[in-house]
Amino acid sequence: MSIIAKELSFVYNKGAAFQKQALNKISVNIEDGEFVAIVGHTGSGKTTFVQHLNALIRVQSGQLTVNGIDLAARKVDLKKLRGEVGMVFQYPEYQLFADTVEQDVAFGPKNIGVPKTEIADRVKFALQQVGMQYDKVAHKSPFELSGGEKRRVALAGVLAMHPKVLVLDEPTAGLDPQGKKEILQLVNTLNKDNGITVIMVSHDMNEVYENARRILVLKEGEIRYDLPPQQLFAKEQEIQELNLEVPYMAQFVNVLRQHGMEADSELLTPEQVCQAVVELRNKEVGDV
Amino acid sequence: MFRDVTFGQYYPTRSFMHSMDARVKILLNILYLVGIFFITSFAVYGFLTVLLVVMIACSRVPLKSILRSLRGILFLLLLTVILNIFLNTSGKLLWQWWIFSIYDQGLYSAAKLFLRLVYLVMGASLLTLTTTPVDLTHAIESLLKPLKLIRVPVHELALIMSLTLSFIPSLMEETDRIIRAQKARGANFDTGGLIKRAKAFVPILIPLLVSSFRRAEELANAMSSRCYGGPVKRTSMRVMRIGWRDVVATLVMLIFWGGVITLYAMSGTLSPMVPWLYF
Repeated sequence: MSIIAKELSFVYNKGAAFQKQALNKISVNIEDGEFVAIVGHTGSGKTTFVQHLNALIRVQSGQLTVNGIDLAARKVDLKKLRGEVGMVFQYPEYQLFADTVEQDVAFGPKNIGVPKTEIADRVKFALQQVGMQYDKVAHKSPFELSGGEKRRVALAGVLAMHPKVLVLDEPTAGLDPQGKKEILQLVNTLNKDNGITVIMVSHDMNEVYENARRILVLKEGEIRYDLPPQQLFAKEQEIQELNLEVPYMAQFVNVLRQHGMEADSELLTPEQVCQAVVELRNKEVGDV
Repeated sequence: MFRDVTFGQYYPTRSFMHSMDARVKILLNILYLVGIFFITSFAVYGFLTVLLVVMIACSRVPLKSILRSLRGILFLLLLTVILNIFLNTSGKLLWQWWIFSIYDQGLYSAAKLFLRLVYLVMGASLLTLTTTPVDLTHAIESLLKPLKLIRVPVHELALIMSLTLSFIPSLMEETDRIIRAQKARGANFDTGGLIKRAKAFVPILIPLLVSSFRRAEELANAMSSRCYGGPVKRTSMRVMRIGWRDVVATLVMLIFWGGVITLYAMSGTLSPMVPWLYF
């Protein structure tokens, strides 16, 4: 059970004068339980690629299998697929529509045919997962909530469908630092504790560096790099040529490395880097 | 879903008609629309065909795009032609079956009505095919200026029109996005009965409405924070000027429609002399 793309290509406005190659023979395997970030410039094909995973864009050429469902086939069981792959768009709070939070969260499960008795439980659980108190918010109008709360409700609406793969398109855009932290923590919990595969599109390299275990760099519809964060951002030069920013922690680690520090262990979060520095000092002190 | 819908029907190219002043185009269009009702004979429809061919050539819009505008009136066209054929009972009886009968006058009037409707729409569509919505708005504002004297808020009306136009593409995009998002949540817009389908649009319409209000408020704030006030005398970035093309087109149209109206007014004296002109 995994996502397998083989030579996946997509052209917008095929045949017209202004056709645009959005994806160019993308081949990639994403295993269950991975946390993958997709980065790249606007127009690099990130969004086109992730929309393929949910059959919002149908396969034009190449192959794509998601958890055993062949998306290049003529008929795809969309209900099943959309239950498997949850998609959280940019600014998901703009999709809220129902009278109450409860109804809005129940929209997805209802559509994919979850039995009524189960829906109530799922809604409760999903709201808990995103850190909202069911009793407090369930009967409120979603439009009464704050921006961050709205986004969490929207996320709950996707989680209630019990997806095995969660695709997030810039989940933290436009949130305050606290809201960002909360969303990322939630995504991490979902990935680590619930074993959900996470595919996150993001422009924030710091956030990508600290959270993702694997990064795909897209440029002009092609995968340029497919590496773990530390190895990717060790290529400072190449990253800057792609007009991507190097995360602060990676810059720090790169400088340390230039000064002779061995950086083999995982140095992604400030805590990890600090610990490495302290260990290095202790070692040197010990040597003397 | 909505990605392929282009707003309006402007056909971008460079031509005689594209470079004309939008105000002149609107006025000549009105002349065309009114004038066509003074045509009563096949002979004059023949002249009009020549004029229309010249107009289309001057616009460099492919005939296919012009004919596309006829799709909207297809039903009306069919209905009027059928009604005219079967309900007109003057002239010679040509064919009869059960309660249906066809007379020669019925055929003629049906054919004339068909020509009138088709030419009406084809001529009128040339205006929107060769003028951008923005230019149209400016032209309408300019033409309505005299109404300011009787305190009609012309500038504000034009502003409303151009704001509406400028919001259409972003609303289209927004709609597209919302549809995708709700589809990702398993929403289905293509199956089920009428009521079920209508209900399926609620999850699209409400977010769309909410975001329209949000956009409107943002725009209003942005405008008032820059002290925008309607009634101040404003200059425009693109000044409309009357050029030689406008003069030529106006002359041609005046001569043609002058001729048509003269023929119409003098039908009493002229029709015995040149009966073919009045057939």
